[in-house]
Amino acid sequence: MFLNQFLLFAAVLFCIGIYGVLARKNGVLVLMSIELILNSVNINLVAFGAYNQDLAGQVFALFIIAVAAAEVGVGLAIVLLIYRNRRSIDVAKANLLKG
Amino acid sequence: MIASTLLAAETTADVAFGTLPSLILVPLLTAAVIMLLPASRADYVKLAALIGSVITGAISIYVLWHFDVADPGFQFTAQREWISSLGLSWFLGIDGISLFLVVLTGILFPIAILTTEPHHDPKPYHVWIMLLMAGSMGAFLALDLLLFFLFFEVVLVPMYFLIGGWGHGNRVYAAMKFFLYTMAASALMLVGIVSLVFLAAGDTGGATFNVIELAENHQLSTLASTLVFLSFALAFAVKVPVFPVHTWLPDAHTEAPTAGSVILAGVMLKLGTYGMLRFGVYLFPEVVFDLGWIFMTLGVIGIVYGAAVATMQKDLKRLVAYSSVAHMGFIVLGIFALNSQGMTGAVVQMVNHGITTGALFILVGWIYERRHTREIAALGGLQKSAPLMAGVFTLVMLSSVGLPGLNGFVGEFLILLGTFSAARWWAVVAVSGVILAALYMLWAYQRTFHGPAVGENATMEDMRLSELFGILPLLVLIVFLGVYPKPMLDRIEPSVDALIEHVEERVTDFYEPEPNEVERVGVTGLIEAAEHGESGGEGEEDH
Amino acid sequence: MSILASLAPAIAQTTEFVRPAIDWHAFAPELVLLAWGALVTVIDLIGGERTRRFMPSLTGIGFLLAMIPVLTLWSQNDDLPRVLFDGAYMVDHYSLVLKGIFLVSAYVIVLLSSNYMAEGDYYDAEYYQLIAASVLGMLVMTSARDLISIFIALELMSIPAYLMAAWRKSDLKSNEAGLKYMLMGVFASGILLYGMSLLYGAAADTRLVEIADAIDTGETTPIFTLGVLFTIIGFAFKVSAVPFHTWAPDTYEGAPTPLTAFLAVASKAGGFVALVSVVLFAFPHQWEIAEPVMWILSALTMTVGNLIALRQTNIVRMLAYSGIAQAGYMLAPLAVYSKVPDLAQSSIVTYLLIYAAMNLGAFAVVIIAARKTRSGDIESYGGMFRYAPGITVAMTVFLFSLTGIPPMGGWFAKFQIFNALLSAETTAATVLAIIAAVNSVIAAYYYLAIAKQMWFLPAPDGDHSPIVVPPALMAAVAITVIVTIATGSVGVGLVGDATDFVELLASP
Repeated sequence: MFLNQFLLFAAVLFCIGIYGVLARKNGVLVLMSIELILNSVNINLVAFGAYNQDLAGQVFALFIIAVAAAEVGVGLAIVLLIYRNRRSIDVAKANLLKG
Repeated sequence: MIASTLLAAETTADVAFGTLPSLILVPLLTAAVIMLLPASRADYVKLAALIGSVITGAISIYVLWHFDVADPGFQFTAQREWISSLGLSWFLGIDGISLFLVVLTGILFPIAILTTEPHHDPKPYHVWIMLLMAGSMGAFLALDLLLFFLFFEVVLVPMYFLIGGWGHGNRVYAAMKFFLYTMAASALMLVGIVSLVFLAAGDTGGATFNVIELAENHQLSTLASTLVFLSFALAFAVKVPVFPVHTWLPDAHTEAPTAGSVILAGVMLKLGTYGMLRFGVYLFPEVVFDLGWIFMTLGVIGIVYGAAVATMQKDLKRLVAYSSVAHMGFIVLGIFALNSQGMTGAVVQMVNHGITTGALFILVGWIYERRHTREIAALGGLQKSAPLMAGVFTLVMLSSVGLPGLNGFVGEFLILLGTFSAARWWAVVAVSGVILAALYMLWAYQRTFHGPAVGENATMEDMRLSELFGILPLLVLIVFLGVYPKPMLDRIEPSVDALIEHVEERVTDFYEPEPNEVERVGVTGLIEAAEHGESGGEGEEDH
Repeated sequence: MSILASLAPAIAQTTEFVRPAIDWHAFAPELVLLAWGALVTVIDLIGGERTRRFMPSLTGIGFLLAMIPVLTLWSQNDDLPRVLFDGAYMVDHYSLVLKGIFLVSAYVIVLLSSNYMAEGDYYDAEYYQLIAASVLGMLVMTSARDLISIFIALELMSIPAYLMAAWRKSDLKSNEAGLKYMLMGVFASGILLYGMSLLYGAAADTRLVEIADAIDTGETTPIFTLGVLFTIIGFAFKVSAVPFHTWAPDTYEGAPTPLTAFLAVASKAGGFVALVSVVLFAFPHQWEIAEPVMWILSALTMTVGNLIALRQTNIVRMLAYSGIAQAGYMLAPLAVYSKVPDLAQSSIVTYLLIYAAMNLGAFAVVIIAARKTRSGDIESYGGMFRYAPGITVAMTVFLFSLTGIPPMGGWFAKFQIFNALLSAETTAATVLAIIAAVNSVIAAYYYLAIAKQMWFLPAPDGDHSPIVVPPALMAAVAITVIVTIATGSVGVGLVGDATDFVELLASP
């Protein structure tokens, strides 16, 4: 099995996703970056499942795909809400509340 | 000796169950009753508080009456499981060391309630006072380490509100300072307590917070017991307060309402010294034996420093506050002298300081009420307008100075005696504190009561009969305990001796002071001899 | 034909599905809440405006109904633990105590919300349905012993909360709160999942116990170490541990206050439950990796949380940071979990119970006060003792409980944490206990600052008109005051004994 290649690919995707979340200002792009992270997880799970001859990994991946859809649905709704109120989806401009 | 203590604790358990818990429950119930009274009827509220505190005081007198003089162990013990899995129990008991502090609490609270009047909101004021009474009683009675700690913390809250809500001047600052200082110091104590319990769990057969079992059985390493002791000592030192950590006290005392000052000086400071005796010396005799000199030194510094600063005070109440620092220094000195005279003297001095300083604060409070100032410079010649008050003030002041024949003398004399046989030079320095006390007290008296009376000073109202009646019990005690301290000493000494014996058992190289005259005639004989100007020898043989 | 016939037994064998035996009773709390939530949704669809005002009561009843099976399960002590789905789901004392905490907290939050939602122009029916859904996630979380079910429970708990944080649709602050919460939540889920995928890869099983066993037998691989770290970091976001806490104060301030209470108490507790389950059940042999991480997280969280809380002027933000600091206390026992797993677990459960009561109470008072002052500034609390003595006394109870002064519950919570730490008898644990003790003093300062405003200082504008407290809020304050005082005084023994039941069950 070429497990390492899959893991490496997933790790690269994960890092790209993390970078996107941290660097992107556009709300939709941040959401897309998070999708990348979730997909890297799916690749990991499926690869491990195939490697270990175990179905749970693929089942887990299916669950993640479903939940990710819900998360993005909610996320886009909130981004849309922000857009309606301030005509911008720049995350950096959402700074009324100072941590 | 202590094994028999434990035995005694078990045998008396069922006999008097309920007496000691009622000392805590009665004030609590009174607080609940006051909460239900209408806020508009200040007179009812005060009456209820008075009745509740007098009942509590009466119970404490009952305990005093039925206290077995011969038994050095814990009496009236009441024990009930609390959290069995953690080894926590509701364990109360009283011995010669705590007996008079409990009685003092029982006497001072009614007097403080009777002689002072809050300037607003009497209802919450009296609720806080009653909660304070319950907490103080609990702290003196608790024989479970955690239970003690809980009460030790609980008393902060009512005092915080009394100072912050009913104090004068910079009251909010003083209240915050008081609370944060004492809480900061005791925060580590909880860590110390829990560490002790777990480290000793192997020796005591499972985790227990029972003070007697811990003291008898724990086998902590020197390092561990030193660290735990230090965490205790810090908490107690701030409460006392010992010299470098005393700065909260002048603020708290000065800004607190009169009743708050009386209780703070009379009862709450004693929690610190009582804690040192009961939980410092009793649990960690080895460490106390090794490090006692530090505390004796701090005590001596406190005596001299408190007296020196008191001399320079312009505010009468602040002067009394600093005199407290000096007097508490004596008590610390007596405790860490680690001998019978010193410790007995420390316990006696705890009670006497409560009576005397309580009375002083009440008197200063009355002067403030009438003259709306505590500036010594603004007062003067009060003797002419208020001769009765001047007379009472003289008596109390002389007791504070330590005049033979009044109560203040007994404790200080014993402490100095004990210190002299334990650490000669410390005693020599401490004596200067007695001289300074005479200086600042008499000087303050002179500036306040003598001289020409100008302006309002000439027309100041004298003590009312009701006020005299209120403070009378304290005056009687000042004279009685000064003239005839024997009944008190008889009850304190056995417990103190048992504690010393415990120290001897635990500390291998503990040295007994040479059996000298002190040993031969006993403490009581010495005191009587000293007061009658005779050399010892005719005193009763107590040993 | 003959081929097919010969295949028939094989086909029959592969397709024959044997339904696993399901212990319906053990699953009842979740089912009751699910059914009731669906019913309420249907009622809302049919009734529309007419049934709208019954929604809070109906939802509250749902939470109380779900309590019934929790109690019956607890009463059948001997049958516990009940194992479902091959060990992926477990009903034991630990999960039952937590279910009780979540259901009662949710009930109190409904009480807090009803007036707030009814008086603002909000979609209130959907709000309650979302709360019910989120609480269902928490109930599942308490029993989940499998990576997949933990993940599902976590998302079921979080996704409704993202929506509710942005509930004040036209308020920019609320939008922003929702956005930040959602982005951070989903991001944290991503990291968590990545960690979980590595754990799964190393152990070839998603059940926590199997993961623990797999690693016990084999030696620790880098993959597993990474998995542990990522999982812990993912949860650190969820429980707002420093340095992963930055979303929390913003979200808390911007979200509707009742929802802030929900996030700060129930949602955070849910995250903690997941963290505790995963660490204790899946990493019992990985303490060399997990404990130092927990130590650092705990020390940082309590110290930074307290220090920032010191300079807050808005009470909600202050409570948010104080909540972060308390998360630090709750993390502390996990720094010694290998030595004293039982005590670590029961002390966290005790803390969660008392934490829920006192924080919900404090938020209730904040909501009540805001009805009059329309402000969250701590200064606006001046003189409250003059015009609202009852509320002031209640708030004082909560504040002193948070400070850790007996006889309020807070001291017992802290005491249990110290118990867990110090019974491990290691230097690191003792140092952490000392850090916690010092922090409790720092915290006392800002809690007392509020008490000081309420009791000693004058009202800012001299306005002494009394506060009208609606019955629902009154009930919320009453419940939380009683629980806060009882857990610190008469009920200490009860709490102690109940959480004493809570013990680690290494194998299903």
